[in-house]
Amino acid sequence: MHKKETSLVVDHFFRHEYGRVTAFLVRKFGADHLELVEDAVQESLYKAVKLWPFSGIPQNPSGWITRSAQNKLIDDLRRIQRFDKKAKIILSETEKEELPDDVRLQTELKDDLLRMMFACCRPEISEEYQIILVLKILCGFSNQEIALALFKSEDAVAKAYLRSKDKLKETGFLEQVPTGHELNNRLENLLRIIYLLFNEGYKASHGQLLVRKELCFEAIRLTSHVLDHTSLPSHHVNSLMALMHFQASRFESRISEEGVLLTLEEQDRGKWDRELIAKGMRHLDKAAEANVISEYYLQAGIAAIHCFAKDFESTSWKNILRLYDLLIKINPSKIIALNRVVALAKLNGPDVAFAELEELTDEKLETFYLFHAIRADLFNELKRLDEAKAAYLKAASLADNELETDYLNKKANNLP
Amino acid sequence: MKQYLYLFRGGDSGWTEQSPETMQQHMERWKAWMDGLASEGKLVGGQPLQKEGKVVAKSGKVITDGPFTEGKEVVGGYLIVNANDLEGAIELSKGCPIYEFDGTTEVRELIPM
Repeated sequence: MHKKETSLVVDHFFRHEYGRVTAFLVRKFGADHLELVEDAVQESLYKAVKLWPFSGIPQNPSGWITRSAQNKLIDDLRRIQRFDKKAKIILSETEKEELPDDVRLQTELKDDLLRMMFACCRPEISEEYQIILVLKILCGFSNQEIALALFKSEDAVAKAYLRSKDKLKETGFLEQVPTGHELNNRLENLLRIIYLLFNEGYKASHGQLLVRKELCFEAIRLTSHVLDHTSLPSHHVNSLMALMHFQASRFESRISEEGVLLTLEEQDRGKWDRELIAKGMRHLDKAAEANVISEYYLQAGIAAIHCFAKDFESTSWKNILRLYDLLIKINPSKIIALNRVVALAKLNGPDVAFAELEELTDEKLETFYLFHAIRADLFNELKRLDEAKAAYLKAASLADNELETDYLNKKANNLP
Repeated sequence: MKQYLYLFRGGDSGWTEQSPETMQQHMERWKAWMDGLASEGKLVGGQPLQKEGKVVAKSGKVITDGPFTEGKEVVGGYLIVNANDLEGAIELSKGCPIYEFDGTTEVRELIPM
């Protein structure tokens, strides 16, 4: 009865299995029964908690969870079929169907997860809902975990999830993975949502909650899942992978032990995660094979230059500026232009950069804290200290993140 | 060396609210605890029980869903362990993860036959 193994299941196995099995059962039994599917998967994980310490972890834990969830779901459908016609039809179609063998099952689980990723990331669904669907269904997060990670109340998450589920059912998600031109658009949206998810997790916060770091790694895991499907175009996917790896490498070093935000210049580069940087580089190399210049690719390139600079002083601002110039051609956004100004200041001095910044200024930019923060840094370098102080304070009042507010206020207070 | 029975009650309240991540961690702590007992030669046997059951009384004239009205009273499983005395058995049971979710362990000595 009691079996002992040397290895347990891999980290986050339950969380990831939740998404895979939910996607599989929804494809098989229909989106109408999403709630029953969720209950069944939850129940099968519960069973595993009760049983596995006694029985040992099964040979194929994934197959075990799938089988047990499917059995529970069929039981539930049987129970409701008297009232629910749809349940009856679905049962008669699937009742005699056995689960495929383990190898085939793994392929099916993989395909279904991808399909579910595309379903959750439909442009018709609002961004907020897309993110919640991804976290709930694909990543197996609880409402509480989502609330913690996104700085929302649990109640708000629960409500948003209910609404987003309705939206998901409305858009009908038993579709195949899109193809042709449609595929490119949908893939673009999928990657954008994944990157938003990553950025949510990457936002610096007090206490550096573990769950926020996990958000970043979930974004990376989902992207690597897209990459597993070799039939999909991979240039953007590899570029985004590279970008997220480079950024994640600095996760620990962005905040000092006293809980103060550190700039690139102040960070201890010895703390940057070399393994993540190396992985990012491999993805960047793969992305380069496509011979395309795209936004994620250029952004990853800029991040790579920072990662590989020995220290802040030896950063190649010339190359960074060149990449920003290309980036602006692809996406003439003010935010990118703003970041470009920083590189310009390092390369050509604060005067040139300041002139450029004045050129950019408009009403919308003035509501953005980063604009004032960069302006303050430039004033500071130009020894216009009163204006610098005012700009830091303005930036602090607009920042939506306490760590950034603290940092900017400190900057202001350090000035005479 | 005597043998003791652990009767586990409850410890699974609010599971529907638990995240898969929490469940996995809980499961791994259970497994680590039981592996520990086994490797010290203290584990004799045991099994988890289904939630549902019936209580039969008066030669089957009375069959009820059980004396338990609340989930926390339901026996979820049992274990038999080796220990020197009741205190030792209680000590061993303290490492059990059942308390994380408000469960209890009833410790009883088996009468040798």
